[in-house]
Amino acid sequence: MSNQEIALEIRNVTKRFGSLIAVDDVSFEIERGEFFSLLGPSGSGKTTILRMIGGLLTPDQGHVFLHGKDITFDPPEKRDVNIVFQNYALFPHLNVYENVAFGPRRRHWPDDKIRKEVTHLLEMVHLAGYEEKYPRQLSGGEKQRIALIRALITRPQLLLLDEPLGALDLKIRQSLQLELMDIQDETGITFIYVTHDQSEALTMADRIAVMDKGHILQIGDPKSIYEQPHNRFVAHFIGNTNLLEGKVASVAGGDVRIRTPRLGEFQGRGLDGASVQTGQPVTMSVRPEKMHITRQEPERPGYNKIAGVVEDLIYVGVSTEFIVRVAPGQTLRIFAQNMSRDDDLWQITWDDPVWVYWRPEHSLIITE
Amino acid sequence: MTTASLARQKKGGRHFKHAFFRYLGLTLNIFPPFIYLLLFFYVPMGIMFVMSFWKSGFMTLEPAFTLDNYIRFFTTPIYIRAMINTFVIATGSMVALILVGYPIAYFLARYAPKWENLIIYLLIIPVEINFLVRIFAWKIALGRSGIINSALLNLGIIDEPLKFLLYSKTAVVIVMLHEWLPYVVIPIYLALKGVGPEIIEAARTLGSGKWSVFRHVLLPLSVPGLFASFVLVYIPMLGEFAVPALVGGPSAYMLGNVIESQFLSAGNWGLGSAIGFVLLAVTLVLVAGVIKVAGVEELM
Ligand SMILES: Nc1ncnc2c1ncn2[C@@H]1O[C@H](COP(=O)(O)OP(=O)(O)O)[C@@H](O)[C@H]1O
Ligand SMILES: [Mg+2]
Repeated sequence: MSNQEIALEIRNVTKRFGSLIAVDDVSFEIERGEFFSLLGPSGSGKTTILRMIGGLLTPDQGHVFLHGKDITFDPPEKRDVNIVFQNYALFPHLNVYENVAFGPRRRHWPDDKIRKEVTHLLEMVHLAGYEEKYPRQLSGGEKQRIALIRALITRPQLLLLDEPLGALDLKIRQSLQLELMDIQDETGITFIYVTHDQSEALTMADRIAVMDKGHILQIGDPKSIYEQPHNRFVAHFIGNTNLLEGKVASVAGGDVRIRTPRLGEFQGRGLDGASVQTGQPVTMSVRPEKMHITRQEPERPGYNKIAGVVEDLIYVGVSTEFIVRVAPGQTLRIFAQNMSRDDDLWQITWDDPVWVYWRPEHSLIITE
Repeated sequence: MTTASLARQKKGGRHFKHAFFRYLGLTLNIFPPFIYLLLFFYVPMGIMFVMSFWKSGFMTLEPAFTLDNYIRFFTTPIYIRAMINTFVIATGSMVALILVGYPIAYFLARYAPKWENLIIYLLIIPVEINFLVRIFAWKIALGRSGIINSALLNLGIIDEPLKFLLYSKTAVVIVMLHEWLPYVVIPIYLALKGVGPEIIEAARTLGSGKWSVFRHVLLPLSVPGLFASFVLVYIPMLGEFAVPALVGGPSAYMLGNVIESQFLSAGNWGLGSAIGFVLLAVTLVLVAGVIKVAGVEELM
């Protein structure tokens, strides 16, 4: 990664509100043209970071660099950074055309250039002919498209999107997700996309930073975040997972054997590059779709297995979710594809005794 | 006639009855206020309108149809003078009110989250004080030996009392400014308060500095508030008569004073009515003009 490819650098940034530390010593870098997502639960500090990048807040400590230039204390209008707000923030007294033309007019573009660009962008988001409408006459999805092209028209070096689809229903959200990805591809503008919806981040982002309580817990591409969560919070927040607590019984290279107080021993794998000691308390994380369920005791050497009773099952279209009680007060979630024909899945019902089994490679050992 | 069409007609009849009773119910609801307005506002207005075309002199009034009263108004210099005074004073006061009121409203809406209730309350308190008491208080303050002149004299800023402070158009504007300020501040304040912070932030990120945000976002969005202030304040100011009578003196004689004297001392009801309707007509045209220019229809 050579230096001129870095679009944005956040260096040791901290922001407090009274005694609350909303953002705590956060650092990261974003490459030019990247679709970067800040993902975390509500209140984790995502918006605060975004506002400091946009110039709407000043950090208490640390610096923000845009293409190598320190912009920490520049006012928003002096930064080549635009924001798409969750509640659209369209100007109610201006029609669609003038809303989109707002940025260009502040930069004194000639009228014919403005007209050409606005028309082009309205076509790009399938809203040609909407020029004369006022924001109050638009649906939520239409408003968000206008807000998006209003922020894009001046080709900022960085576009910040704060839960831009959060207020829309699922169908519109999904189609706008695809539209946004296309637009980002076409324009090559660096995007920082804030969301609390892990599936949105996994679908859209090149890289994800998972946040909690003002800290960034892990940064990586969607696959590594999903497959190699560094700690319990990330494992739990990104998708569903089953967490089994225990102590390390033995270590052999990356293979770790854990002993749980109530469920016996399981074979798992440590995180790439992490080291664990015998006796250390750890957590094993297994994704529900990696677990299998069957009525006969499985004859699969090397697999982890455990017996239990079906407490609940939920059909969700293409798959079935089983809740299996493996000890008093302890359950596992298993997702099984309904098309799978390899066993008697269909006949399994409430209160049936079953076996759950999974491969050691799918059992991640987490220390934090 | 077929059975079907007969049935349809019956149904139509029922619809008619239904609508009739609903209409009746509605009428009964608005009936008392309507009667009140009719008896005490529209009927007297109508009578005055008719009277404005009658032959009319000192304590005489004789039914006719003549434009004499209107002609007399438009050809008598002191009446025309009063009309000009009326618009100069009302417009001057309106301008002063907006110049003073807008910054107060702006400050309240944007920078005083902790103080806004208190300040609004302080603005409103004087309204609760009797109107005449307030005017007399101003009379004392603005007089030759009033607190303003004494203070300026004692500080050595002036050598002799300022005469224009009392019994002048300035005096009327000063008192009107005080009297109407809350009615100007509050609508503008509410309009500005309704602009969400994210709208301003969006403008900032799109390249607007603080002045540009005001010019291109806050000012246009406060137009409905400005318009409400204008309607609330400018029209009553055009009809003002107590303030000019008490602090204005002869040079600030307004149409309201002319109308009042025609009814109460000159005893010429026909002329008084005619002047009243001229004032009403000019006011309506003005308001319509402002609605057009400000484009408020769009925003309402
Ligand atoms: N202006 C503010 N004043 C006080 N507290 C704030 C302010 N803005 C945010 N916070 C607090 O900072 C924390 C982080 O907020 P935010 O960045 O909005 O989180 P997120 O966008 O991840 O939901 C929250 O606890 C929030 O209540
Ligand atoms: Mg947020």
